[in-house]
Amino acid sequence: MSAVEVHHLNRSFGGIQAVADLSFTVQPAEILGLIGPNGSGKSTVFNLLTGVHKTGSGTITLFGKDITGWPSYRIARAGLGRTFQIPAPFTNMTVRENLLTAAVEGDWKSARQRADQVLASLDLAHVADDLAETLSGGQRRLLEFGRVTMRDPRVILLDEVTAGVNPRLREIILGAVRHLREQGKTFMVIEHDMELVRTVCERIMVMDAGGIVAEGTFDEIARNKLVVEAYLGGLTE
Amino acid sequence: MHLLIQTIVNGLLVGGLYVTISVGFSLAFGVLDVIDFAVGEWVMLGAFVGVASQSWFGIDPIAFLPVVFVSFTLLGWLVAPLIYRVRTSHYARPALMALAFTFGIATLARGSMLTGVGFDPRTVNTGIVSGTLVVGGIQMPWLRLASFIFAVVATGLFIAFLFFTRRGLAVRATAQSKQYAGLMGVDIKRVSAFAYAIYTGLTAMAGVLICAIYSITAQHGPRYTLLAFFVVVLAGLGSVGGVLVAGLFLGVLQAIVTVYVGADYTLAVVFGVLFGVLLVSPRGLLRRGLAP
Amino acid sequence: MKALSSRQKLIVRAAILLALALLLGTLPLWAGDYWTRIWTGVAMWTGLALSWNIIGGYAGYISFGQVAFFGVGAYTTALLMQPSHHWNFFLTLPVGAAAAGLLALIVGWPSLRLRGAYFAIATWALAEALAQLAGVFGFTGGSFGISTPANPSTSFFYYIMLIAAAITYAVAWGLLERSRFGLEVKAVRDHQTAAQSLGINTTLVKQQALLLSAVIPAVFGGIDAYWITFINPQSVLAGDITDQMVVMALVGGLGTIWGPALGAIALYLVNTWFNATFGSTTGYIAMVGGLVAIVVLFLPDGIIGLLPQTRRLRLVRQLLYRSGRSLRPERGTPQTGGERP
Repeated sequence: MSAVEVHHLNRSFGGIQAVADLSFTVQPAEILGLIGPNGSGKSTVFNLLTGVHKTGSGTITLFGKDITGWPSYRIARAGLGRTFQIPAPFTNMTVRENLLTAAVEGDWKSARQRADQVLASLDLAHVADDLAETLSGGQRRLLEFGRVTMRDPRVILLDEVTAGVNPRLREIILGAVRHLREQGKTFMVIEHDMELVRTVCERIMVMDAGGIVAEGTFDEIARNKLVVEAYLGGLTE
Repeated sequence: MHLLIQTIVNGLLVGGLYVTISVGFSLAFGVLDVIDFAVGEWVMLGAFVGVASQSWFGIDPIAFLPVVFVSFTLLGWLVAPLIYRVRTSHYARPALMALAFTFGIATLARGSMLTGVGFDPRTVNTGIVSGTLVVGGIQMPWLRLASFIFAVVATGLFIAFLFFTRRGLAVRATAQSKQYAGLMGVDIKRVSAFAYAIYTGLTAMAGVLICAIYSITAQHGPRYTLLAFFVVVLAGLGSVGGVLVAGLFLGVLQAIVTVYVGADYTLAVVFGVLFGVLLVSPRGLLRRGLAP
Repeated sequence: MKALSSRQKLIVRAAILLALALLLGTLPLWAGDYWTRIWTGVAMWTGLALSWNIIGGYAGYISFGQVAFFGVGAYTTALLMQPSHHWNFFLTLPVGAAAAGLLALIVGWPSLRLRGAYFAIATWALAEALAQLAGVFGFTGGSFGISTPANPSTSFFYYIMLIAAAITYAVAWGLLERSRFGLEVKAVRDHQTAAQSLGINTTLVKQQALLLSAVIPAVFGGIDAYWITFINPQSVLAGDITDQMVVMALVGGLGTIWGPALGAIALYLVNTWFNATFGSTTGYIAMVGGLVAIVVLFLPDGIIGLLPQTRRLRLVRQLLYRSGRSLRPERGTPQTGGERP
């Protein structure tokens, strides 16, 4: 059974077709990369998967269950977690409270304990009782990541999770991703950092103008003319 | 049947003024991103300036309209930066805080006027337009006709300004997207103040005319605030086009309820319809408004 | 003064609470009738201000129709205590609370799904409509109002209000600062979309917050109806009542438990002084409006934010801060406009 299946997804905003007849499958425990130039529809795909936007047409299934049209929170409870491109911490709560909030709709008894674990593994223990608004950009991304893992989702969507993060924190996050994948979690990752994509993602999808133009391993897509064109807009070699 | 047509005509004629008020209100929302809870107080204040012009200076209120416009435009131009300041502050929910701010100045206006002039209703009389035009058995007092014509002209000029001048383009651009308007060199703060000022000027003028047609008390502000809300919610928040229809509809609705049910129930009916629309079609009847 | 250990802090807190309880508990014995009445009013307003703060400061949905719930509670008690029905006073309170709760569900269901602006409009319009209807319907006594039976002593009402306020604060504190629900509410306020991505049913949370914020003023409204023996639309359904709640919560400090109490005490005393000196309630309305405007412009944290950072006051500040978060302004993040109003 696939982790996520998308069939003929469509979504437009005003006159712009953000996602056009999109279909793909995500296999359990794989790390799938989603790359493409700005405006190709990557974040829209995430928003559609998590119910932030309603689909124009098409279906989405999560581990065999049809989640098309479900409200956001229901999809989250079904085991789909995500981070946001611009980190969205709860600014007027402490870091620890942010993590605890993630466990509200889940395993509450062990929440405090798990929060401490997450704080330790992400090197955030020293700011645990500070308000989230005081965190630096990189720390916010760590918090984002920690928050999503607190829910123990089966599928995690990471939206440029390492953007603007210093190398040390980046390694912490990547280490956590690999660790979680070993536990059987599925990842879908939007990234602009090609080096990261090459080392972490097993399979990559390239989007352009709302559709998928290429799919495969990093080497395969690197050689793909369509991909080069998508990024460089037709200017070749 | 005759009564029905008469009622509808009455409603339409007054509805014109509601359109004028609501167009400005809707635009102010679009540009400042703030629901001005003080809209009804601008109506009330304008009306009382009209009352003052007559009782203190003996000037016909209609002749005084330009003065009202200028003075309230100035007043709005002074208030707008304060709203803007709250709107761009570091609150967790700046737009709602700005709304609370307008609520504060609305209450301040109401309290001050109540203290100053008391609870008594006042009205104005104009000698410039009098008499009644009778067409096909339908009575149309010239005062109401003139108000309607004023509304058409004022709203028309306003919309023409928005769509045919450079300044107007800047205002519309700001209403659509502050980010991009800013990037293109539009001084958002100035444009916001400008839009708000025109809106208060127009609304105050409408207030004078409403006072001439009906009457005004210092407590009437909230009533007109409710009516303005009604119009923009029905039209869809941010949609100027729908306001034209919704404003006239409100006038007619109010007239019909007054005649066939009872004047005391008008506000309750207005609220009921408002509520129903929020329930069923929050983006306005034509679904042109902002996404909820 | 060296920093106190957490055990010492606990003792200090307990001592302060005990002193307060003693002071308030014995007030009628030493304060005299006039002041007992004043403090009865203060108690009521601390509860009202808190109720507004729950939906406004904690959930981030500003309500301008809070008085509707107060009025519903007042009228319910007054009507049930009419000679024809002759209910026991205490039994009327839950009925009023239930009525207000029902109203909250009805008005909340369509409007809480939407942005805060619609909710502000809807609640405000509801209150205005109710005020008009109450003045028109026969069974509510129209604009003349209705009266409640002659009542027991001043101290009876003082203790009732005090107990109601104490219970309100205890429940609110427990629900909003020490439970999962509190985290949910604050998450909804800070970032709805993120809250949803964590499985929180934001609409339900908002409904629950509104329900809580509606039941509280209904109870106080019921007590008030019995206390002042005569109610009409002007006294229990006027927009000025909501205005005062807003100001008290804003002045005291949004999104904190104790802020509204501070604001209520401060403002009620000012109101009393104002009436005594100028005898004008409309002037007070103007002042309240002006205060809202000024506080919003200049004092985002309310009174709590004003306490200077001196050593001695730091403890008080910490006490207030720790037991109830303050809605501190965002710093550092660019104002992308966040979520639309």
